[in-house]
Amino acid sequence: MLDLFFHEDTFEKCLKCNACVVNCPVSNETFDFGGPKHLGPELKRLMDNQQVIDDKRIELCTLCGNCDISCPENVHVSTLTAYAKAIHSELSGTKFRDVVLSNAEFVGKLASAFAPITNLAMGMRPVRKVMEATVGIPADRLFPKYRFNHFNRLYNKKTASTKRKVAYYVGCYATYNAPNVATSFVKVMEYNGIEVVKPEQKCCGVPMFANGQLKQGLKNANFNIQRFLEYTRQGYDVVVTCTSCTLALKKEYVSFLQTEDAKELASHVYDADEYLRVLMENGELNTNFAPREEKARYYAPCHMKAQGIGNPAMDILELIPGYEIQDTGAGCCGQCGTFGFKVEKYDVSMNIGNKLAKTVNDVNAEYTVTECGMCKNQLDQLTDQPVKHPMEILAEAYLVGDKVLANK
Amino acid sequence: MGERFETEVVVIGGGMTGAGVLRDLALRGIKAILVEQRDLGHGTSTRNHGLLHSGARYAVRDEEAAIESYHENLILKKTVPGSIEQTGGLFVKVPKDDDSYVQKWLSSCKNIGIPAVEIPIEQALKQEPYLNKKVQTVYQVPDGSVDCFTLVLDVTADAAAHGAKVLTYHEVVDLLIEENRVMGVRVRDAFTGEEKEIFSKLVVNAAGPWVGKIAEQVGIPFHIINNKGMLAVFSHRFNKQVINRLRLPGDADIFVPAHDVTIFGTTGINVEDPNDFSLNREELEGMLEEGKKLIPSIHDMRLIRAYSGSRPLYQESSTNDSSGRNVSRGMALIDHQKRDGLDGLLTITGGKLTTFRLMAEKTVDLVCGKLGVKQTCTTHLEMIPNRKAKGFFNEVDMAPAAKQKLIHWAGTNATKIEASLREGHSSVVICECEQVTWAEVEAAIPENGRFHLGDIRRRTRLGMGPCQGTFCHHRAASCAVENGKATIEEANWALQQAILERKKGMGVVATGETAKQVQLMAAIYQVSLGMKEGEYEHV
Ligand SMILES: Cc1cc2nc3c(=O)[nH]c(=O)nc-3n(C[C@H](O)[C@H](O)[C@H](O)COP(=O)(O)OP(=O)(O)OC[C@H]3O[C@@H](n4cnc5c(N)ncnc54)[C@H](O)[C@@H]3O)c2cc1C
Ligand code: SF4
Ligand code: SF4
Ligand code: SF4
Repeated sequence: MLDLFFHEDTFEKCLKCNACVVNCPVSNETFDFGGPKHLGPELKRLMDNQQVIDDKRIELCTLCGNCDISCPENVHVSTLTAYAKAIHSELSGTKFRDVVLSNAEFVGKLASAFAPITNLAMGMRPVRKVMEATVGIPADRLFPKYRFNHFNRLYNKKTASTKRKVAYYVGCYATYNAPNVATSFVKVMEYNGIEVVKPEQKCCGVPMFANGQLKQGLKNANFNIQRFLEYTRQGYDVVVTCTSCTLALKKEYVSFLQTEDAKELASHVYDADEYLRVLMENGELNTNFAPREEKARYYAPCHMKAQGIGNPAMDILELIPGYEIQDTGAGCCGQCGTFGFKVEKYDVSMNIGNKLAKTVNDVNAEYTVTECGMCKNQLDQLTDQPVKHPMEILAEAYLVGDKVLANK
Repeated sequence: MGERFETEVVVIGGGMTGAGVLRDLALRGIKAILVEQRDLGHGTSTRNHGLLHSGARYAVRDEEAAIESYHENLILKKTVPGSIEQTGGLFVKVPKDDDSYVQKWLSSCKNIGIPAVEIPIEQALKQEPYLNKKVQTVYQVPDGSVDCFTLVLDVTADAAAHGAKVLTYHEVVDLLIEENRVMGVRVRDAFTGEEKEIFSKLVVNAAGPWVGKIAEQVGIPFHIINNKGMLAVFSHRFNKQVINRLRLPGDADIFVPAHDVTIFGTTGINVEDPNDFSLNREELEGMLEEGKKLIPSIHDMRLIRAYSGSRPLYQESSTNDSSGRNVSRGMALIDHQKRDGLDGLLTITGGKLTTFRLMAEKTVDLVCGKLGVKQTCTTHLEMIPNRKAKGFFNEVDMAPAAKQKLIHWAGTNATKIEASLREGHSSVVICECEQVTWAEVEAAIPENGRFHLGDIRRRTRLGMGPCQGTFCHHRAASCAVENGKATIEEANWALQQAILERKKGMGVVATGETAKQVQLMAAIYQVSLGMKEGEYEHV
């Protein structure tokens, strides 16, 4: 049984100003959601050391974190909504489907073992109809593809000997669905003379938090903290290519666990582009990029915005000669991790997403750049434009740049 | 001269004492009218700690008060369950407090029969995670938490259901006297200024801290010590049960959970004027320093407001004790015929909220003797309708938090509120902190009374949460106008009153978040809604 009492006192600071409600993508789309203010600080106030209130509307919260960034009082709204989710699933039970979706890692391992079959099955409508009826994953929802050659099969380095050393937190998406992102990242680091190791790791826990599986999520959190601290204490930097994972390691572990270890780890964590920006600021960045006459648009995932580090992907990509990239300034994508995979949330997800699709199409470009795999999934579904991770572009630019140098 | 009424007994004061007397009179079939200068509970009865004493606090120093409290505690839990939460209470000894008091206290409780059970410290800390980890001994006693707003309202409503009449916003300005006999009272309507006369066989003065003022109206010397105490409200309810400090009663040693907040107090300073509700920042800081010994994180917790009220302590002769704590808190029932040779006037004062029923019983026994009525008291047996609304609201689609509140709250209004909730819009929560819907507000507006947000607050808790009405006051006012419950002028007047009143209580605790809340409130009302400060007189 989860201990339903948890210590998180930022709710006391809430002034009821509604800034979070106005900025919540779900509240903007439907009246059926109680909104961040109510389901976050307000409920916590009513429940702290008192009776527990189970509000099923919390299922609609995607944990995108927009409420946190908009709050002038620094209330940890989405930490509170994550607890409300945990309470709801504790008391009302978690759907089998949500257990499956929350366990991205397990599904990832399982699915990529049979990758071609899974991909086919996920693509085939009759099978999907059955899935909608039995587990509630909407038939029209596009699924990320699972790769047989997932990153764990490709890469397993455990020690590094360069001056700067990186402990790579890969995340489930890059491990199972987009190993190309992970291998690109390793190459980008190599071009900068940095060796990358891949410590033992578990899913960051974000999908578990989002599905109310808080306890399991925190187990993973503790596991990851201990494994990665072994590295940071030997001078490694922790770098992450998935924005949700980065946010978890930087912020969520600290707010949920409130331990010294969590804080210590957080101070060593970087988003991959943020890390490159640090290299640049220290004059260590290899800028030998081949020119690319391309036009791209950038879509900032919510969990990137929530880190409050500006726009590092664009800062780096703009260094490529001839490369043009424009921020779409679009809001939430609506996929929101596993949210858009649920049949009862499909409409809300699509409505949010359609706004995004419109903004994306309004910006004239050849393809879209974003870091988050789940956002990519939504973009794949709603736009006919290709979607790339910044690491993939950078790796290519370095590769071509190298060849050009060699030919000279 | 305006209207004239006749009745058997006039009760002055719509506090707990007056309400109790009115109900007892009604249950014994005696015709009565209660007169209150403002709203019910304007005085000390809603400006106290809301602790349903088990008697344990008084066990050592005032055995009689302890016995009375314990007995009444048991009776009220049975007869007014809707206004009492049986939280239980802890008596906690902290380091450096007198060790020898514990044994004295324990044996006094035992003698009186108050069950005080020692519980393991570990268990106490589990129940109350905010409690000082260094506590040395913890006992559990049958303290409770009283909702003094609903208590005074429900007791009065039950009296009315048994035929009594209630006149609120009517001040007694004079006693009508003929040859050493009080014949009735002259009252003035607080809104229109109109005066009315009520003739009666007997007048019961239950005006709390104002009893002396009433006596003065007929030139009787009457010494009353008004001992003012301050209370502070925390923005959330952090304790499950009442937490008392196990020591000789002193300042700032009780935390009472009350709905969604915790009330902390208190102090005691003698004042002259019963209308002195002033608040003092230094007094508050002194309280917090003391309170830290029980709840160490007290300075990190947000306070949303403070308030004060006066204990009317009766003394036959005046002394110089300025603390007021050593004067008996026992009740005083005075027959002015015996004391001053003035017929037709009784005064009942002193006592406690917890003992209001007993005070009423004794008063009405005396009334019966004077009127030759044979009926005996039944208030220790007869229930007041419960507030729980079991079986209601299950089908209504609304926020679970708001629903949970209604189920514990709606009481006799449940049918009306449920019907209105089903109509649609009225299930929208307009006070989010306290989860109050428009349906409840509507049910609290009197048929042909004035639209007054303070009255609504006392009946619904609207505006009692952390934002102190920053958002809900104007929502309630606009809904009232839209639904034909108030004109725009009335709504503006009510808003102005409400904001002034809330601001006063917030001012003294306004540091940190609450200071920002005050600014936000000012910005909304004075800037966005263009209200001017001090435009209306505070009623
Ligand atoms: C700080 C503090 C904390 C306390 N805590 C507790 C506690 O935890 N538990 C407990 O049991 N007791 C407590 N008490 C004691 C308790 O609150 C009082 O004993 C009780 O409320 C007194 O009620 P009352 O009806 O006699 O007086 P009041 O409630 O003051 O009622 C008198 C009423 O008379 C009205 N009135 C006055 N003059 C006129 C007039 N001329 N015409 C018409 N109406 C008039 C007033 O408006 C007022 O409403 C506390 C008291 C204080 C001050
Ligand atoms: S996390 Fe996102 S969806 Fe959830 S309440 Fe906050 S803004 Fe809304
Ligand atoms: S933005 Fe922050 S302060 Fe404003 S209502 Fe939301 S949680 Fe409260
Ligand atoms: S958030 Fe990161 S680690 Fe977690 S499931 Fe997604 S990709 Fe995997």
